[in-house]
Parts: sequence; C-alpha cells; structure tokens
Amino acid sequence: MNKMKLSSKIYSGLIFAFLFAPIVVLLFFSFNDSKSLSVFSGFSLKWYKELFNDRNTLATVRNTVILALSATAISTVMGTAAALGIDRLRSKWYRTAMKTVNDIPMTNPDIITGISLMLMFVFVGRLFGASNSLNFWTMLAAHVTFCTPYVILQVLPKLQQMDKALPEAAMDLGCTPMGAFFKVELPEMLPGIFTGAIMAFTLSLDDFVISYFTSGTGFETLPIRIYSMTKKTVTPKMYALATIIFFVTLGLLLISNFVDNEDNKRLREMRKNRKSTYTRQDDTEENKPTSGKFKKPVAICLVIALIAGIFFFGSRSREPKVLNVYNWGEYISDGSEGSLDTIAAFESWYEDTYGEPVTVNYTTYASNEDMYNKLSSGAVSYDVVIPSDYMIARMIKEDMLEPLDFENIPNYQYINDSFHGLYYDPQDLYTVPYTYGIVGIIYDANIVDEADTGSWDLMWNEKYAGSILQYNNSRDAFGTSMYKLGIDINTTDQSEWDRAAQELIAQRPLVKSYVMDEIYNMMESGEAAVASYYAGDYFTMQEAQASHVDLKFYYPERTNFFIDAMCIPKCTQNKELAEIFINYMLSEEAGIANAEYINYASPNRNVYENETYIEDMGEEAMEILYPQLGDFSELYNAYAYRSLDSDMLDYLTTLWETVKLN
Amino acid sequence: MKSAALKRKRSSFDMALAPYSVWALIFILVPLIFVAYYAFTDNNFNFTTENILRFFTATSNVHADDGTMVEVRTYLVIFMRSLKLAVISTAICLLMGYPIAYIMARAPEKTQKTMMTLIMIPMWMNFLIRTYAWMTILQDTGILNNLLGLFGIDPVHVIGTEAAVIIGMVYDYFPYMVLPIYSIMAKMDLKLLEAARDLGCGSVSVLRRVIFPLSLPGVISGVTMVLIPSISTFYISQKLGNGKFLLIGDAIEGQYVANNLHFAAAIAFILMLVLLVAMAVVKYLTTRHVYGGD
Repeated sequence: MNKMKLSSKIYSGLIFAFLFAPIVVLLFFSFNDSKSLSVFSGFSLKWYKELFNDRNTLATVRNTVILALSATAISTVMGTAAALGIDRLRSKWYRTAMKTVNDIPMTNPDIITGISLMLMFVFVGRLFGASNSLNFWTMLAAHVTFCTPYVILQVLPKLQQMDKALPEAAMDLGCTPMGAFFKVELPEMLPGIFTGAIMAFTLSLDDFVISYFTSGTGFETLPIRIYSMTKKTVTPKMYALATIIFFVTLGLLLISNFVDNEDNKRLREMRKNRKSTYTRQDDTEENKPTSGKFKKPVAICLVIALIAGIFFFGSRSREPKVLNVYNWGEYISDGSEGSLDTIAAFESWYEDTYGEPVTVNYTTYASNEDMYNKLSSGAVSYDVVIPSDYMIARMIKEDMLEPLDFENIPNYQYINDSFHGLYYDPQDLYTVPYTYGIVGIIYDANIVDEADTGSWDLMWNEKYAGSILQYNNSRDAFGTSMYKLGIDINTTDQSEWDRAAQELIAQRPLVKSYVMDEIYNMMESGEAAVASYYAGDYFTMQEAQASHVDLKFYYPERTNFFIDAMCIPKCTQNKELAEIFINYMLSEEAGIANAEYINYASPNRNVYENETYIEDMGEEAMEILYPQLGDFSELYNAYAYRSLDSDMLDYLTTLWETVKLN
Repeated sequence: MKSAALKRKRSSFDMALAPYSVWALIFILVPLIFVAYYAFTDNNFNFTTENILRFFTATSNVHADDGTMVEVRTYLVIFMRSLKLAVISTAICLLMGYPIAYIMARAPEKTQKTMMTLIMIPMWMNFLIRTYAWMTILQDTGILNNLLGLFGIDPVHVIGTEAAVIIGMVYDYFPYMVLPIYSIMAKMDLKLLEAARDLGCGSVSVLRRVIFPLSLPGVISGVTMVLIPSISTFYISQKLGNGKFLLIGDAIEGQYVANNLHFAAAIAFILMLVLLVAMAVVKYLTTRHVYGGD
C-alpha cells in the first residue's frame, strides 16, 4: 500500500491535468501585454505592477481573507462542539432534529440561503430602526451559518467511527474526563476538524452568492468586486491576483509539509523511546497519532487570524470621516497604466484643503437593479451613487434621493447645457451627470460585408448566423429589437412588447451567445463578428483585437442614449462631504482621468474641451464618442430608457424567459 | 465515582451543543420562515397563493424541434432542465472522484497530503475567475481547438452547449465530491479488506461488498454537496452556456433583479421543498449505513 500503481498514477495525472488546465490558462494570461483574456499579444509584468498599485482591489482581498478567517475560526469551534454534543445526545428526537436542521444549509441552494438571510436581516434592521443593518457582521453571520454544517459533517463521522470504549478506558486508567477528551477523543477528531476548517475556509473564500445578498455598506469582498465587473471587463489584473494567490498557497503548504515532516520525525523518535503509552492497536506508519501532524497548521491559522483581526479593527478605529461611494464595477480611474487614482487623489486633496483626513469606502455593483435593491431595502447607507437615467427617475419618484446643494458643487457650471432639464430630472435638482453614451454596432470587417452594415438588420442577417451576439439582459435585448422595428422602447402596450419578443425569438437561431462582459473576449478573438454595445467599450476591444480581426463600429438608425449621473441617496450620513466629492469628480484632473479610463463620453467641458484629452483619445475616438447626430436633448428624450412600472417589468421578465426557452 | 464523572461529562457535552442550537434556530430556521412568508404574500403582504400557482401554471409558446409551436409550462421546463444538468454533473463527479479518493486513501501518507492539497488549491482561486478561464479554453477559437488543430483534428464546438455547462459544474464542484469520500476511506479499517480477500472475495467483489458500503456516508455527502450547488447555479450557465440555458437559478435571480421578491421567494420555496424532501428520502433509505443504525 505504500507504492502507487502505474494505472493509479496515470489516472491521478489526468484528473490533475483537468483541475489545473484553467489555472495554467490564467497564469499564462496574467502576463499578457494587452487587456484581453483570450488574445495573447506579448509578455509583460504590468498587470502585477497595476495590482499592487490598486488599493481598492487589495482592500477587497484583505476583506475576503479577514471574513474567511473569522468565519472559519467561529464555525470550526462551534461546529466541533456541536458535533460532540450531537454524538452524545440521548434524546433521539433532539438528535434527529439537530441533524435535520444541520442539513438545511447544505441541501438549500446558496441563492435561497442568501435571499432568506437578507430578508431577515433587513426585517430585523427595520424593526430596530438601524440604518446599516447589512454590514460586516451580517456577512460574517451568513458565512458562519453555511460553513458550520460542513465542519459538523466532517467531525461527526470521526466520532461515530471511534470506539466508544476508548474514553471510558482512559478514565478507568485514571484520566479526568477533560484529560480523556484531550488525549483520546481530540486526536481522533483532529483530521475531521482540520478538513472541516479547510472546507469552511475554502467555501467562505469562494462564496459569491450569499455574500452578494448579505453584503452592505463599505465591506466588499473580491467575488463581489469581480462580479460587478460584468458591464465592463474582467482585467488580467484579476488573473495576476489569482496567480499570486496560487503561489502563496503553494508556498504555505510546502512550508507546512516541511514543518510536519520535522514534527513527525521527532514524534517517531519520541515514540521509539517510550513505546505504547498512548498508541492503540498496532503502531504502524498509517496509524500514528495525528495530533503532531495538525497542530502546526492550526496554530499558524489561528495566529494569522489574530493578526488579521488586530489589523482590521486597528485600522478601523483610526478613520474619523468616511464617505461611502457605490458605483458600477470598473467605472472610475484606479491608477492603472499610469492614470490618476481619483479616489486617492480626492483623499489627499481633501486633507490638504480641509486639514482633516477622509477615507473613501468604494464599493461596486453589477447593475442598476442590484444597486436599487440594496438601497430600497433600507439596510445600507451610501453617500454617493451613480445610477443610470431610468433608475434615477424611479428613485426620485420613490423619494430615495436628496436634492443637491449646488453651492457646494461650483464645478456644475462646466456641465454642457444639453444636459439640463432632461426627463429624469427636469428641474436639475438631484443629479450631476457623470458619463453618457450611445449604443452602436460593432463588427469584424474581415467577416462582415461593408454593404450589410448601417442598420439594426445586421444583427438579424442570416449570412452571419452563429456569429451574432445579443445582450444577456432583457431591457437591452428588447431595445435592439424595438429600435429595429421602430417601436417606442418605453411603450405600455403589451402587444408591442410581444412583437419585439417575436423578433428576438426569430433571431435566436442566429445568435451565438447572450453576453454581457463576455463580449470582449468573443469580439477580440474573432469568436463572434457582430454585436451591439456601448461606443466607448468598442475602443477597449479594438485595442486588444487579434491580428486576424478588424473591428469597426457604426451607429444604426435609432439607438439608445444613456446617462449615468451622480446622486446622493436619502440614506447619506454626510451630505456635504458627498457634495464636495461630486464637485471634485468634475474637476479637470479627476474628470479627464475618469473619462480616459472609462472610455465613455463626458458631459463636462473641463474634459471634452481639454486639448490633452482630445489628443489622448485620438480623432476616431472623438468622432465616435461625440458624434454630430442632431440635437442631443431631443434625441435623448426620444430614445432613452424610462422607468417601467412593476407590472410592465414583470411582463418583460416573463417574455424574456420565453425568448430564452425557445 | 465513574458514573458521576461520566454524568458531568455528558452535561458538558450538552452545553457544547447549546450555542449551535441557538445559532441554527436564528440563522437557519427563522430565515426559512421569511422565504415562506414572502412566497405566500403579495406586494402588500396580503396572503395569496398566486405566486406558488404561477410556478406551476405559467406557460410559454416555444418552437419544438420540428419547427411547430408548442405550449410548455415555463418553470417546470426550466426546473427539469436544471435537474437534468445537475444530475449528470453529479454522476460524472462521482465516477471521476471515487477512484481518485480511493487512490488517495491508499497512497503513502505524504502523497495523500500532496494530493489533497492539489485538489484544494484550485478552489482558492475565485470561482468566477476559474469559470472565465474555461471560456478561454472552450470557445470555438479557444485553446482546446488550437491544440486539436496542432494534431490535425477538426475543431469541436463545445461552448454554448450543455456539455460546456456540465464541464463547468463538474470542474467547480469536483473537490466537494472527492473530499468527503476520501475522508471516510482514509479511516477505513484495512483489516476488513484483507479479511474479505482471505474469505475469497475478488477485488471487484471487495469493492462492491466492502469498500463501497463502508464509503457510502462519504458518497452521500459528496453527492449532496455537488448536486445542490449545480442545480441552483446561475453563473456557470451564463458564462459557459452562452446565456442560452435558462436554469432555475437564473429564473430566481431574474425575478430578484426585476425586484419581484415575492415570486422569487415562491420559486425558491418550491425548489427548497423539493430538495429537502428528496434529501430526506435519501437519508431515510441510507440511515443504517450513515449513522450505524441507532
């Protein structure tokens, strides 16, 4: 049994090849010179450099690890104790009840656990009038809740496999109950505890769904950050991060293996000297006591948890003034590729100007609806949010936004006049526009015939069947078909929506994929040839396109205009500070940095009239981003999305499901 | 003397269970009541069975394979599709994972630890990122097809098919199958195997009559831990299924995004009920294996 058979070796090799294939891929692309995750254009270490300059991402890594360590510590202790308790229970009823309840988090899909906990936290929060009922502690509670059952699941079988006479024998031989527990039972349980703890840690580290529902103000974990990149693109920076995690983990485990071997050597020697004191049965290699083997890693973990905890709470208490900003993923300049880190710049500017430090807690969301659901739950408190127009209209209607004090936002004067009095904020009371854009069609000129371009029909052209991408979100997908058919995209006539749905069903056989951020990979690599997306993102794709791909862009006959604007929600804790932040974002340096990073058009004269900016963007980009299509406010008011009422939204969701089922 | 000590010990074990009992009550049971509450109420929190009924009665007109239009029950179709993919993924995980757990349990101790480490490591890299990497591998112009091209093999179309979704699920949940089985097998008394062999069992027969029954508790936790997340996932189907496979998790998420919490809760409630009943049946059928027949 000490040697592995050749067939076993081959089989294990195949399994590990399967497990590590994607790891190799992400390791490889973390060294990519361009932003693409599917087209390798040259070796570079720049994503590693960027990662270490990215304070925000590093903070989410720190949060993720702190959360995982805390959840592991609590659930391991509580789970082990509970397993012991369950094992000894005499009451059959209690025992069955405990086992059944313990099974629930495991037999319950995480989406249900997440929703159910969120509903409860929000409800209790409202009961006590707390404004921040979703926070670090609710996330911790949620993680402990789904981790503990796995610990119990690992520990309980060990206890049941154990000979029940052993602790009694130990006590007969003069051990105290405690002594018997530590000398006999605990060593038997340790492998289970250790596996349970590792499982808990892994689950917590990797959890996205439950965190997503229970997260709140100012505490963002890595998975949430990555998920909210789905409007923009996941950058190789994240691959670089994964690569580093890989090597750190590997290193730690090698060290722990080494320490163990030393330990075991010592143990073996010890045992040679005083044989058979506490070993049971035959004392062979595989039956050696496990205590020495697992003490070190457990101890190391605890020390790390302690340090992390001190670090975490220590750093918390020194933050006097906090501004909570909630924005789209990848929607602010973060200091990568030599750009300005606008948040850090704001913090230092604020300290220089007002003489006191401020900390910006920056968290991200994947869609307007995510943001709305969090804010409307009343369980979070943000100071600045940046939703899109139709969502702003809804939030104003539902009295969720504060009117702004424009005395504190003098830079508002630089906003282009076309952006005044638009439908979502007719009196200009609540919003300061951040970016805007127009939806167009991107195509691969090496595949698509120039003559077929110009209108929405390209996305329904059978010549390109299997190369067309459609949005994977109902409103935008319906938008393409409604613009094509000339239907008012905000109609309340259900039969018009039905017509649009029929058009989407007809398109379905031609569609390669329903996408959000996957569009980048697919267009860059030539996997697909036709897609509709936001003008600014076209440049990102073009920059990273493969050598056999030639991406081009045009605006079809009718198309979507959108504006994302900065607002202050009613739950703000520091309105004036929020206004100062908004004002700073309109300043020349911050405005340009953001506009160049996001690649969307800016309504800010400080930006679009700036020579450096115009030069940086280049002629083609300026023409596409700021096209002369006609009177902006008129086009905007005609073609922008408006908020649909809940019946209409429900109907739309149902139609979308039908499209997907076809 | 002894019985007093034992008694003291017993009560301290009861105490050990207390924190988790309270925790489970607050964080496991009470939240479920909230799901039920939302599932059976409308937007104004008046009692209604409409949400539940909608799950069973809502219909869609879809194209059948022969091009004709047929009316199907929307959510039942979605549910069955999710179930199918989840069951296939779980079966593959089990078939792939059982031998590796066995090999691990029989390997020299140092190798065991290395192998366990190797199985865990991929999970420490974010699952969203790992799924992303699979996209790069599986797409039509991706790494897999480039490799096949080197050997002169025709490209295969994987991404956007059910196979791609299954690969993603198997990959992401594989360790949850291996670890519980391994942890049981590592503890197995080797003398039993020897005894079985001495009594004339062939290796297939040892596997079937001794090893497999003994490892059943691990198999059951493994199956549970793979089946549940794969039935409710929505990320994998979006990324690897090219967004063409609407699974039950997608449906719940879609309703949540539409801020239709009550119907989302209703779908969740039904899914939860089905899974709890299914698991209870499995547990009941295997109780004597799992908990030694007490």
